Amino acid sequence: MSEDTMYFFWDLGQYLINGLTQGSIYALVALGYTMVYGIIKLINFAHGEFYMIGAFIGYYIILAGVPLYLAFPIAMLGSGLIAVIIERLVYRPIRHAGRIPALITALGISLFFQYLGQMLIGADPKAFPAAIEEKTYIFGEIMITNIQVIILVATFVLMVVLWWLVNHTRIGKAMRATSYNHDAAELMGIDTNKIISFTFFIGAALAGAAGVLVGMYYTTVEPMMGLIPGLKAFIAAVLGGIGIIPGAVLGGLTLGVAENLVVGFWVSTYRDAVAFAILIIILLIKPAGILGKNRKEKV
Amino acid sequence: MSTPILETKAITMRFGGLTAVDNFSLKIGKTDLIGVIGPNGAGKTTIFNMITGIYEPTEGIVELNGENIVGNRPAFITQKGIARTFQNIRLFKDLSVIDNIRLAGHFRVDYGLVASIFRTKKFHAEEKRLEDEAMELLKIFGLEKKKDHLAKNLPYGEQRRLEIARALGTKPSVLLLDEPAAGMNPNETKELTKLIRWVRDKFQIAILLIEHDMKLVMEVCETIYVVDHGVQIAHGVPSEIQNNPKVIEAYLGTDAE
Amino acid sequence: MFEFFLHLSPLIGINIILAVSLNLINGICGQFSLGHAGFWAVGAYTGAAYSVYGALPLPDELNLIISCGLGFIAACVAGLIIGVPCLRLRGDYLAIATLGFGEIIRIVIMNTDAIGGPRGFSGIPKWTNLFWVSLFVVITVVIIANILRGTHGRAIISIREDEIAADSMGIYTFKYKTLAFVIGAGFAGLAGSLYAHYTQFLHPNGFSFMFSVIILLMIILGGLGSITGSIVGAIILTLMPEVLRFMGETVSQWRMVIYSVLLIALMLLRPGGIFGKHEFNPLTLFKKKGEEA
Repeated sequence: MSEDTMYFFWDLGQYLINGLTQGSIYALVALGYTMVYGIIKLINFAHGEFYMIGAFIGYYIILAGVPLYLAFPIAMLGSGLIAVIIERLVYRPIRHAGRIPALITALGISLFFQYLGQMLIGADPKAFPAAIEEKTYIFGEIMITNIQVIILVATFVLMVVLWWLVNHTRIGKAMRATSYNHDAAELMGIDTNKIISFTFFIGAALAGAAGVLVGMYYTTVEPMMGLIPGLKAFIAAVLGGIGIIPGAVLGGLTLGVAENLVVGFWVSTYRDAVAFAILIIILLIKPAGILGKNRKEKV
Repeated sequence: MSTPILETKAITMRFGGLTAVDNFSLKIGKTDLIGVIGPNGAGKTTIFNMITGIYEPTEGIVELNGENIVGNRPAFITQKGIARTFQNIRLFKDLSVIDNIRLAGHFRVDYGLVASIFRTKKFHAEEKRLEDEAMELLKIFGLEKKKDHLAKNLPYGEQRRLEIARALGTKPSVLLLDEPAAGMNPNETKELTKLIRWVRDKFQIAILLIEHDMKLVMEVCETIYVVDHGVQIAHGVPSEIQNNPKVIEAYLGTDAE
Repeated sequence: MFEFFLHLSPLIGINIILAVSLNLINGICGQFSLGHAGFWAVGAYTGAAYSVYGALPLPDELNLIISCGLGFIAACVAGLIIGVPCLRLRGDYLAIATLGFGEIIRIVIMNTDAIGGPRGFSGIPKWTNLFWVSLFVVITVVIIANILRGTHGRAIISIREDEIAADSMGIYTFKYKTLAFVIGAGFAGLAGSLYAHYTQFLHPNGFSFMFSVIILLMIILGGLGSITGSIVGAIILTLMPEVLRFMGETVSQWRMVIYSVLLIALMLLRPGGIFGKHEFNPLTLFKKKGEEA
């Protein structure tokens, strides 16, 4: 093997590691999108903001001296509760008004949190406190940090917990039933409003965890940080098949890897265009997503 | 029977593993009045959707005047001469009654976008013609006084009539009526029976209608096809159908709930 | 105060053109687009590129007309390229796809050095004034209103009302969706060129998805589907930041928060009223009723 090819593979490995790390973050946020869409057919545009909120809760409590292992659950709980409040106050009344009014409302919520954050915290990026010391491990030419390892492990653990919750608990069964057929679930005595609130809670908690992880990874947080990752996580959800939980994970990892390959081997300034291009291609070729089934419209 | 104007040859529609309509064949002559009946979910509307191009049949062909029309857009098929109404009334609800009819004449209008922007002579002449034709139809259907009402504000019976008028506005040679009596009381149904006959005689067109209400079909149609679970189980004049044991079974089987 | 209004009024006019053109797509044809800022950007940069690099030796007025015409055409072409694939999608999927395209346009501009890239595009001559803006507003409104009162316009509206019924009336729905999309994009491009020659400086961040949302807010405020409503909505939302500024520094700083609350309140209080009875995606309305197959 020539030296060039060797370096190509080292680079490839590095981009894959970075891509998987980035993709894990997307996947965590995408899960919330997909769960909420699955249950009430709403593209929750404001979902990226729960990620931002999680990051800021993490920022403040770590600054206050709370250890990292406690900061995680607190940030998750905080994002989740805010999401539940928003669902109760805004999304529930609008639920039956049709999809477009609901979409516009979600846009409104998104703007609200971004600009409220700017007013309360300030628009400038804040340095995320170093909760643990960063260490770099080197394998050949590939570098991997302990923070990347934490992100990958935390994502994996959260996904296993989610999988267990959805497939092996009563409430998970109720969630699946509500998502499958809202009215029938109601008739079977499931309190669908409660289930929907719970879905928002879980989705936002996962996004909140992603927010803390990304704060550690990129070491800065700011009020607009949820916008682009939020959109990309949505793209990831669509890519995998919106409404399908494993699809969100697949979509998130695929998107993260694809982005890092483009940035690595081509130009970094087109990073965001890649995601949107993927979105458009998938919408045009297979709107139901990689794992989705195409459905015929009834007349 | 005269030479058929519309003919379906063994059309089949499958959705995934489900066969909604299986090998359905029918022939309609120039001024025939034909009914397709069957219990709910028998696949009647699917037959309409295949004829009008909303679905493309999985197998089989649909011939209009001897020409295969399968694979064309619904709009094209309408322009070729098949018009329809819908089971759950699909009017342009927030448009006026006359605009609903004007839209049926849209594809015959002979002026371009530029003429419309600059309000040319041709624009005015064509719009006048469109309006005259629409008014004529509204008069026939007794809706001329309501021409400026929004379609959604009409009472139910008038909405049904407007939908038939709108379909006729495309000047079809075959008219498809999807459960025209749905939601009507016995009096209105009686009126409708008269109207359907009258439309056929006045416009000299073929009419194909779907109903699950046997009575209307028996009264108005000359030939009846019976479908159940996507399969044609009988075919003949009303008196034959009435006494056909298979038909009675299909109906009793579902109506006895 | 008077001078201040004189400064603002061309911007009002430009926003009216943007709102009316977006309304043609979203409110009148019922195709929910979130990429309008992208077409605006295409027009602005095309018009500006003409006057900076290739202006003919003609009077300024004529050059302005040419650059607006080029902005219009370029945005029409962009509208066609984006509309043809995207308009097969419906409802919220269409919204997301157009949003994606709008962002791609912005990113491409960001990466094109000849038109300033991330530094912004400067040195654009100031040709736009209140007279030209007013004239173009009148032209835009008259053209769109005339189209709507003809058979093509009725066909466009019928798609919003019920796409399947329109198809069954012999109307080529895809053609008219595309037509509405392309015309809407074109006028946004025209507004872009007017804008470029008014502010004399363009920056890609000014054409972000957030601005598409603001135009959307204008037409929702005024009433989707109503041209006069869009005009009123554009005027209100252009003046609002300035009015808020008079109410003091704090209020002015909070204006984006106020906008977002306004948007949510509008949707909560009049979700049906503003949209009328119709849904944007007529198919979803009927899907639930569980008809026979």
